[in-house]
Amino acid sequence: MSEVDMAVIKPEMMKSYIWLQTADGSIQQVEQEVAMFCPMICHEVIQKGMGSSKNYAISLPQRVNPAMLSLILDYCRFHQVPGRSNKERKSFDEKFIRMDTKRLCELTSAADSLQLKPLVDLTSRALARIIEGKSPEEIREIFHLPDDLTEEEKLEPLKNTTDDPRIRLLNRLYAKKRKELKERQKLKNIEVEEERVDDRSVDDLLSFINGDNGDSKGIKNSKSKKKNRRRKDQQKNTSANEAIKNHNKEPNGLNQVCRSAEVGQKVRAGVGATSNLHDVGDDIFDNKNELDDVDIDDEIDPALKEKIDREVEDFARRLNSDWPERMQEILSFGHERKPVHFSLNGNGSLRRYANSEQR
Amino acid sequence: MDDVMSRDLISDLPQSIIESILTRLPIRDAVRTSILSSKWRYKWTTLTQLVFDEKCVILSNDRCKVEDGLVNFITRTLFLHQGPIHKFQLTTTHLQCCPDIDQWLLFLSRNDIKELVLELGEGEWFRVPSCLFNCKKLTRLDLFRCEFDPPPSFKGFLCLKSLNLHQVLVSPEAIESLISGCPLLESLALSYFDSLALTIRAPNLKFLCLEGEFKDICLENTPLLVAMSVAMYMTDDIAEHFEQSSTCNFNRFLGGVPRLERLIGHIYFTKFLSIGDDLGRLPITYAHLKVVELNQVSFEDMKEILVVLHLITNSPNLRELQISGSSNTLAAIDAPDLDFWDDECPSNCTFKQLRVVRMTDMSGVPHEMEFIKFLLANSPALETMSISPCVYVMDGRLNMLIELLRFRRASAQAEILFIQD
Repeated sequence: MSEVDMAVIKPEMMKSYIWLQTADGSIQQVEQEVAMFCPMICHEVIQKGMGSSKNYAISLPQRVNPAMLSLILDYCRFHQVPGRSNKERKSFDEKFIRMDTKRLCELTSAADSLQLKPLVDLTSRALARIIEGKSPEEIREIFHLPDDLTEEEKLEPLKNTTDDPRIRLLNRLYAKKRKELKERQKLKNIEVEEERVDDRSVDDLLSFINGDNGDSKGIKNSKSKKKNRRRKDQQKNTSANEAIKNHNKEPNGLNQVCRSAEVGQKVRAGVGATSNLHDVGDDIFDNKNELDDVDIDDEIDPALKEKIDREVEDFARRLNSDWPERMQEILSFGHERKPVHFSLNGNGSLRRYANSEQR
Repeated sequence: MDDVMSRDLISDLPQSIIESILTRLPIRDAVRTSILSSKWRYKWTTLTQLVFDEKCVILSNDRCKVEDGLVNFITRTLFLHQGPIHKFQLTTTHLQCCPDIDQWLLFLSRNDIKELVLELGEGEWFRVPSCLFNCKKLTRLDLFRCEFDPPPSFKGFLCLKSLNLHQVLVSPEAIESLISGCPLLESLALSYFDSLALTIRAPNLKFLCLEGEFKDICLENTPLLVAMSVAMYMTDDIAEHFEQSSTCNFNRFLGGVPRLERLIGHIYFTKFLSIGDDLGRLPITYAHLKVVELNQVSFEDMKEILVVLHLITNSPNLRELQISGSSNTLAAIDAPDLDFWDDECPSNCTFKQLRVVRMTDMSGVPHEMEFIKFLLANSPALETMSISPCVYVMDGRLNMLIELLRFRRASAQAEILFIQD
């Protein structure tokens, strides 16, 4: 007997069913009152007349796989019965959401695509309960989140917080360090060129013409001066490298603050760098005060260097201490990182740009 | 070790779900999610509901530190936030008068704030800045311990549906004009006001809650009122003021609320209603009134008893009645007007729908017992009558029980419960 015949004989015995098709192609039939509890299915049935037979099965959204569909239908089957008390419903809900986190997330997604708001609320509450009070590592582990924020991004608030004088000092020290490194790089490059230029300098030519008197001394002096400078530069470089290595030792990777700051600002720094080069180059050819400043810095540098190292270690230790408290104190995050440029004024003093427009 | 291929479970859910989850977290945890991964960095910043309380900061004994921490946290959160803020709630005992709050309110007034709840601490009350009155989209306003002084040009919040002022310093004219200036107002709660004389004109008002020393209240235009709860504290001068007044309070208060469904009165409410001229024939019937709770009714004052009777006999659909007494037992044995119950009391009224009656703090004074007798005799549908004697009455309980046994009951299935402590 066909279904139609049976319907004629005992209509009141036949329940009506709705046909549903999940994204994987499988089709099933569900009691009408259960399926109609989902607004999306309800809409399909009423507005579009779908779901009455196998050929016209309602295609469910992709996020609803058969496992999720069966869970959702269990939920609907219970809740669509009108006579249940609030207590019964609550206790069903509590038992219902006891599942592993992966399924909970899938269920939230599936319920959302079927517009079943009570179930979305229920699962959201459950997910919020899971997240509440946990540390970020725990949360990342539970939800398989990638730990893809750089240390600098995590610590970013430090750069923007200018309240704490120690942070301000450190920012300044880092800036100075970066500037010095850049300078030495450029000096090295320029010196290499300068050496060659000096070999054919006017002095030499003159001495050649005039004979080697005081000029040679002068030349020697200037040469030895350069040599000394080079040695000093190398010392400075190595000391700077050591400093950086020390920084490396700190697990928070404070060097990354420098490095990634530079890397992150590559595009704009490129622009800044060329102008820096220009400025520096000009200064060196114009007057030697700049180099003198560098020399003076050399003298102070070892002592200052130690101070910087100490500060850095202290700071890193503070950062490594209790994470939640730390986050409480520094709980501000910048919108976008404004690139901070450092370039030299004509008189060699440091000038700091907040953004490129101030150029 | 987790398998390397495990996919991110949650970050790709639709933003509406993420917000639904983040809204259910305490604000501190929600902001901390910005450190989880690059996708989560700014997910919290578009939340439209921000609820701050003292759990946002680390507790410590240093009050200044907590205050500063809370102020910093809120300021930075607002600064980082993107988009509209529909709800802002601050509950704290630590902040009172703090200039940062003014700035936050200014910020909120520019961000489409709809619900504002400000619960501040004791001490110097915060004076609400004028930018609050520019929040055109406000639908809910709750203020605790503030000074509220609308500028003369302020006409009202056109979208306001719920107003709750608790311990707020405001002039009576300002309150009246505020209430009249909010045409959509549905819920009004005023508490801890001193000597307030108030006329309420709110055509859409459904819920009313008043608590405080009110000199005079008149519900002039509240036709849609559904539920009200009133606690009237009375000082001596207010009582005097009442004695001299001749207008009928019952009519002024309950004369224009035909849709009333629940009425709860505390402390001196019944006394307040009893003052004034003779009640006479009340023109309206409370056809929807289902639940009445009157506390501290003095059954020695004939006028108060009349008020109660008047109310319940004009409520044909009353289902639940709860009355607590406040009689002075020492004076009660010899009660005047006892023959009222036999002579004047309306004998043909029946409480057809009355199912549950609770009489608490009963001292056993004659009028109380007569009232109970009256109810039992005229409630054919009664299911439960529970009586709790007042704690001070120890000896009179047996007498009460003996009398109760004699009373005729109109309802065959009525249970009488005598509850001892």
